[in-house]
Amino acid sequence: MYLVPLFPLLGAIISGLFRNQLSKTAAGIIASGAIAASFVVSFLLFFQVKSGGAIAVTPLFTFIKTSAFTIDFAFQVDQLSALFLLIITGIGFLIHLYSTAYMHEEEPHHFARYFSYLNLFVFSMLLLVMGANYVIMFIGWEGVGLCSYLLIGYWFKNTNYTAAAKKAFIMNRIGDMGFLLAVFYILQKVGSANYATVFAFDGFSSTDVTTICILLFVGAMGKSAQLPLYTWLPDAMAGPTPVSALIHAATMVTAGIYMIARSNVLYSASEIAQHLVAIVGLATALFSATIALKQNDIKKVLAYSTVSQLGYMFLGLGVGAYTGAVFHVMTHAFFKALLFLGAGSVIHAMHHEQDIRNMGGLKKHLPITHITFLLGCIAIAGVPPFSGFFSKDEILAAAYAHNPIYWGLGVAGAAMTAFYMFRLYATTFLGSFRGTQQQLSHLHESPISMTLPLMVLALLSVVGGFLNVPEVLHGNAALHHFLSPVLTSESKHSLSHSTEYILMGSSVAIATLALIFAINKFSKNPELGEATGLGKTLANKWYVDEAYDAAIVKPLNSVSLLFKNFVEKGIDGLVNGSGKLVQYSSRQVRLVQNGQVGSYILYMVLSMVILFLLWWNQPILTKFIQKIF
Amino acid sequence: MPIQYYIALAVILFSIGVVGVLTRRNAIIIFMCIELMLNATNLLLVAFSKMHHGAALAADAATKVGVEGQLFVFFVMVVAAAEVSVGLAIIVMMYRNVHSVDINFLNRLKN
Amino acid sequence: MNAIILSAIFGVVLMMASAFVSNRSLYKTIALACLVLLVGANIAETLGYSFFTIDTHNMLAFNKMGLFFNTICFTATLLYVFISSSEIERVDNYTAEYFALIFFSLCGIAILTSFNNLLMMFLGIEIMSIPLYILTGSDKRNLKSNEAALKYFLMGSFSTGILLLGIAFIYGATGSFGLESIKVGTLQMQLSILEVTGCILLLIAFAFKVSAAPFHFWTPDVYDGAPSVFTSFMASIIKVAGFYAFVKLFESRIETTSFATNPAVGVNWHLLFAILIIATLFVGNITAVFQQSVKRMLAYSSIAQAGFMLFALFSVNAFSKEGLYLYAAGYCLATIGIFAVLVRMKDYTFEGFNGLAKHEPTLAFATTVCLLSLAGIPLTVGFFAKYFMLAAVVKQGYAWLAIVGVLFAGVSIYYYFRVIAAMYFKSADENPAAVATSSTVKIGLAVVVAGIIILGVWPHALLNFLYF
Repeated sequence: MYLVPLFPLLGAIISGLFRNQLSKTAAGIIASGAIAASFVVSFLLFFQVKSGGAIAVTPLFTFIKTSAFTIDFAFQVDQLSALFLLIITGIGFLIHLYSTAYMHEEEPHHFARYFSYLNLFVFSMLLLVMGANYVIMFIGWEGVGLCSYLLIGYWFKNTNYTAAAKKAFIMNRIGDMGFLLAVFYILQKVGSANYATVFAFDGFSSTDVTTICILLFVGAMGKSAQLPLYTWLPDAMAGPTPVSALIHAATMVTAGIYMIARSNVLYSASEIAQHLVAIVGLATALFSATIALKQNDIKKVLAYSTVSQLGYMFLGLGVGAYTGAVFHVMTHAFFKALLFLGAGSVIHAMHHEQDIRNMGGLKKHLPITHITFLLGCIAIAGVPPFSGFFSKDEILAAAYAHNPIYWGLGVAGAAMTAFYMFRLYATTFLGSFRGTQQQLSHLHESPISMTLPLMVLALLSVVGGFLNVPEVLHGNAALHHFLSPVLTSESKHSLSHSTEYILMGSSVAIATLALIFAINKFSKNPELGEATGLGKTLANKWYVDEAYDAAIVKPLNSVSLLFKNFVEKGIDGLVNGSGKLVQYSSRQVRLVQNGQVGSYILYMVLSMVILFLLWWNQPILTKFIQKIF
Repeated sequence: MPIQYYIALAVILFSIGVVGVLTRRNAIIIFMCIELMLNATNLLLVAFSKMHHGAALAADAATKVGVEGQLFVFFVMVVAAAEVSVGLAIIVMMYRNVHSVDINFLNRLKN
Repeated sequence: MNAIILSAIFGVVLMMASAFVSNRSLYKTIALACLVLLVGANIAETLGYSFFTIDTHNMLAFNKMGLFFNTICFTATLLYVFISSSEIERVDNYTAEYFALIFFSLCGIAILTSFNNLLMMFLGIEIMSIPLYILTGSDKRNLKSNEAALKYFLMGSFSTGILLLGIAFIYGATGSFGLESIKVGTLQMQLSILEVTGCILLLIAFAFKVSAAPFHFWTPDVYDGAPSVFTSFMASIIKVAGFYAFVKLFESRIETTSFATNPAVGVNWHLLFAILIIATLFVGNITAVFQQSVKRMLAYSSIAQAGFMLFALFSVNAFSKEGLYLYAAGYCLATIGIFAVLVRMKDYTFEGFNGLAKHEPTLAFATTVCLLSLAGIPLTVGFFAKYFMLAAVVKQGYAWLAIVGVLFAGVSIYYYFRVIAAMYFKSADENPAAVATSSTVKIGLAVVVAGIIILGVWPHALLNFLYF
């Protein structure tokens, strides 16, 4: 069981320490092999869990021990974490494999550094989902944040990229503070951070639960890129594309979902927090979908699409459809990883060209990429029977049961999703090639180690949905039953079958319409000029970055200027003054040490005499000291 | 004789030793003064030993109370002898190098 | 008992070895083997296998705490000899005798961790100290070494006199040398003037041994003048053993007499200790700032560290007990590590460290970790050691003293980071600043660094042994 995180850790250490010695092949094999090994273990573990075994909390050692509480370094394996383990290691392995080809132009030691980070990331992510208490989860949480920072800034010579890395890190830190406060709050109230103890604790008042839930949600907002902390995710596309696929689509950003699903007992006890989660999720879903409509960078479209899909997941969590959300995490991991890797394949073929306006007609040059990308697009658009349909529909049905307005807005978002995805698809793959002649001559399908993950993921995107066919479609809702021991507070909606059919039918119809419209519109005449009017606003992402800049960064800058000019001088004077005082006294005090034994002994005798004098006059002295303190 | 006299005598001897250490510069004389301090405590220990013995004697004629004070004195003597051997060796070593036993002659190590 | 007898025997074995074994390179092997045996024997006794049954008339009392402390000290010595044996050989021709003296000192330490009687305490201190006078002066043709030995010896025997006077007064007041009888006296709050005076004299003598200000004057000069390789031993193992004895002697008395003023004589131990602590922190940290030689800076820094260890005496509770063990282990590791690097430097000034990171990245890294630990930066054992000490004081209700401690710890960062800055951010003017290092040294340093970091992440790896 502890083998699962151990392998990636070893892989990270080996490829990190010996990055100058290892050849590229060796580094690739070590890193991918580590993940493959941990995938095999997770796979076995998953089936053990499925048949009812291996569910346990395993403490490894005592991590922190104080008189008020003890925190064990413990791993918890249950249905939820087993599922996540499978997703993380499985997709992680595919992406490692893909990276061996994608990163092949790098220098050997940078190559090994990349894999070391990637392994470390997988390790932290596993720690996050396997931890049996919030503290271990927090360690993993910080670990993935760190790895994300390192990988976004992987090409550290480009200052824009490092700025993006910093932005991601800082945004995450804001969220982390919320998480940390929540952990402190829990420790303070419960005296333990173990999930089992916390969920069974009955001494919470309703304010306590709401505060904890909202603080946890603030953490989730940062990590899972929700309004208003989402702006780092699109910028995070500065990292290598496989990194975007693994971290910023499939795994790390879903950590927030995992955390809330894990704490479902708490959330179900706080209606306010649930509403907040649902509304923020829905708003994010719509908001970023609109932005995605007008983006021209292939990765930016996918990034905003990710933010939007994460919004759906939070909507699901907010309306109590925890399984739906986790299900969507899984299917989204399949098709979004697929789309990112497909985009990577395109970028690879186009020699790091990312603007879709300069692409087009890639269909015949990249046949495998094209087919798999198309499958991914269909899946995300929610066309039955592809995986996206089932998961998204489950969330939407639960949303309808909760509040029909949620459903309406959700469907609108889904329509936009279908629209921008097929705009992306049509502009990239259909029509005629618009790039330079040189690019055209170099167009080639990617090597097998890149297309193989694409094909596997495409297969999963197509069939992944059948894992959880709802009862209304005569399925057995397998995932539902599987996860029910962990997601105990799942709310059951009671929609009639006919209502559900109507809901599904209408959402599918709307999405399909949007899809066909997009293909028609963009396959022949893609919009190549600059957008105008509302389109321009969308293309500029609602000017959120600028608004943040004006509302937060500029005032902060001017305040800091103020501090710098006036306050700092005073503080500087104080600090430098005390430094000078220390140096001055140092110069004086050391003169006491004059090198003569005789005077040393004299000082000692004098000190003795003074001590005795102090001793016998102690009452006076004690009174004096008590007056001061 | 009351025990106070012995205490006073020992403390005076001890103080003479301390003052000697403070005022003299010849390493060997300083060393002798330290020996004087040690012997002052020896005297004190013996006096206390006798005192405790005397007090216990009234209750039990065969008492051994107080004997450990005198035993301690022997240990002090042995330790002092060990210190003398080491100390004199150090002083001889110093004399070989600088041809002086003045403690203030060596003061390179300071500040 | 195992430790006391075996360390004495091993000392004699090494003295004999110098007479009968002509191959000089064999000595360190013998010493290492003896140390391994010593550690093993001590662990065996901890687990309940005592090789010797001797009636000590309750003058010595062996408990797991003390034996565990022995283990820490002996293991640190093992590490020290492993790293520095080649340097010890380089001091002079009498390698085997130096090892023998180290073993005799260890014998003193073993007595100091188990004494139950002032006589044994006195003997332990002397057995531990007298070999050190010799080791300090072992570089016989070096005037600095001469001077250091003379100063150490004169001041050391002066403090012996004070110690003896204290013992004599206590004996006069209580009629016994046993620790228990003294404790009984304090429990009943019947401290006579004679006994209080005796206690203060003991306090002063011990303050001298652990170099607490204002009785620290010997420390900088002796540490500076002694051959670096022996300074390492004195500053690490001997220092913490002194502290253990100090705490062992006073812990029971402080508990009962300090928190309230003793009505009989108006005693408040805490006041005395607070004065000692603040003076020690002040002198150690402030004076270290202006030093030019790293070796002398380390001597002052060891005074500063002593100030922190004194917190264990100030507040006797579970925190301080754990903190003392952690401090002992962490401080020994860091000091041994940093001196192992220092003895390889040609130039002991800060400039001598310039550009070390370029020529000897391993040494520079090890030095950095050790210095960070001494400065108390998180993820090193030094952090937790300081944390436990400060937490103990805060728990006792003296937060202001903890604040003073933190302030001085802040000052300490200045002089520790001067070395780090010199190693990493300055370039050397001339050729390599250090002599070549063997792989033995590197292995030893790796152990030191690993120990510092493991205990820094997981202090209970050590502390759990206190409760097994």
